[in-house]
Amino acid sequence: MTLLPRIVLGHNAFFGVDHLSTRRGAERAAYFSDIEHVMSVVNEAVSHGAGGLMLSTHPRATAITDRLRRERDLSQQLQVFPLLPYAQKYVTRANELGMVRVVTSTLSEASVRDKAGLGIDFLRTVLRRDPLDMVRALMRLELRTFRRLDVPVVFLHDALADLLLALDQPMVFGVFEQTLRKRFGTRAGVATKNLPYLVHRFEQWGLRLPVILTHVNKAGFHVNPGIDDCEAVLQRTDLEVMAMGTLASGYLTPDEAFAYVRTLPAVKSLVVGASSREHIAETFRAIGLSQ
Amino acid sequence: MDEIRGAVIGFGKLGLLHAGLLNGLPGARLSAVVESSPLIQRVIRQHFPTVEVFSDVSELVSGQLPACAVIATPTGSHVQIAGALLEAHVPVLIEKPLSITAGEAVPLAAALDRHWVPNMVGYMGRYLDTFRKARELLQHGVLGPVRMVRSSMYIEQLMKRGEGWRYDPRVSGGGVLITQNSHLVDKLCWMFGDVRSVSGHTTRFVSAEVEDHVHAYFEFVSGAVGYLDASWSARHYRTPTISIHAQGDNGTLDVDDDEVRVCLDSPAGGLVSGWHRWRKPDLYQGVPLDIGGPQYSLQMMGFLQAVRSGSGVESDIASGIRTQRVIDAIYASARSGGAPQLLEATSR
Repeated sequence: MTLLPRIVLGHNAFFGVDHLSTRRGAERAAYFSDIEHVMSVVNEAVSHGAGGLMLSTHPRATAITDRLRRERDLSQQLQVFPLLPYAQKYVTRANELGMVRVVTSTLSEASVRDKAGLGIDFLRTVLRRDPLDMVRALMRLELRTFRRLDVPVVFLHDALADLLLALDQPMVFGVFEQTLRKRFGTRAGVATKNLPYLVHRFEQWGLRLPVILTHVNKAGFHVNPGIDDCEAVLQRTDLEVMAMGTLASGYLTPDEAFAYVRTLPAVKSLVVGASSREHIAETFRAIGLSQ
Repeated sequence: MDEIRGAVIGFGKLGLLHAGLLNGLPGARLSAVVESSPLIQRVIRQHFPTVEVFSDVSELVSGQLPACAVIATPTGSHVQIAGALLEAHVPVLIEKPLSITAGEAVPLAAALDRHWVPNMVGYMGRYLDTFRKARELLQHGVLGPVRMVRSSMYIEQLMKRGEGWRYDPRVSGGGVLITQNSHLVDKLCWMFGDVRSVSGHTTRFVSAEVEDHVHAYFEFVSGAVGYLDASWSARHYRTPTISIHAQGDNGTLDVDDDEVRVCLDSPAGGLVSGWHRWRKPDLYQGVPLDIGGPQYSLQMMGFLQAVRSGSGVESDIASGIRTQRVIDAIYASARSGGAPQLLEATSR
């Protein structure tokens, strides 16, 4: 088992996701539309000790991964943690096309764009319409963005993962894990807003627990079903949890937030958001990584 | 506690979400799906062996009846499907908007008069923490009489002509007003009471047959006046974003998805004078299972509780018809160049 980097830089600020302020999210999306602004924050975070970058398959992710492939000095110090699929893209498109056509049209557009790499295989999948084949095909499509980068874990987005947990569908998690292990040589991770529920389901299914990406904060924000149940799970030493939302989107101060997270043995890694040099300095000082 | 066995009609994006909640929340289970697409039917049969699959609601109601049903089909089919379920005395949760017009949904109210069962219209925005808090403050009368309301709903969804049933008024009932913005119309009625009259203007930017922008002026029965402005072609709004500002004799209230703020001239409702602010983390309480946001879980839990106890909910078909009447009146006004449209007085 590879060790997870202690600090992973989050991507939300780059893509305008802000769970506390929609307006701040939109302003940051505008600022970070300039790739130089993104790279400046990434470099600053790495210089303070960040060892990873969380990255969804947002349309802007390609510009970031292109830069990382070109800047080998940087990418050698930085593991990339893809989170897929970029749910909002599919949700918005599904409003127009319906769900089946979102998947088939995404795949067929990709096959037209990139015949040599994907064409025949993809079209066959589209025609056969086996849902598990579609999962594999969509994974290949989404993971193209991350080729030739150090990718130790790929996370399944909570929008999809929590639905599959609720619908009692172990098979998709199995296909996700096997495809990553066999085709990409990486480990499976699962993002969730329902940590105890996920652990219960996986143990009920007899599946090995994945690396788990979930909200951990003492404000209990996005923590389900409640803080006590989650803390009980986070006392387990056999779990590998990557904690996000530790500051509850800026609701908590870094000092109080990280002091809390340090009490939870399951948390092996922290995803921290950062949008400026000052922000990085304050966050990393509170974690105890820099002065 | 007996497990509630629920059916989902329409296995699209929202149907899946409701199916997940029905199957995953404590005390309930997904027992049947009605879906017309043979491809989706096949997937369900493969992956959900214990779930019955039907292609039409008439097949569902002719067999063993579910304890409740969720209708998540395109708007134009809601009334016919809900009618069949209500005739069979099956409690229903109908996705919003209720129907294409208010008149079309009146037979549902008549069916409930003949035999009442729990019923709900899926205005899940009423379960967002910040809006619940705002309504609670208004109900405590902290603002005093409300005089003026300003509100908006924007999303960057449609920057070029769209495809699919949402842009076909015969199936959707119209454009942004009746689809996403029906949430805001419902919230305004829920928070500020019945509407006496509206005048509206609609505009097309990119669509051929439905409006992409709506602006409507309201007079509430309470005497408050105000407006809504909404578009699905609004840049920089990644997700649907609603905000409401109200001015009363004793202060102001601002609410959006992120926070509620009030500023009071004099103490009221247990609050001192001056500014008060509640952010999302202040109000957040965990849910047993969060799939698409806690508001969907809380809505489904409210519906299941109503089914279990045989009781009513606030966002019911009667309330859905009232919201629909306001939407109809805005469209009628827009067709006549913005002439004010009076709504019939209804009791709430």
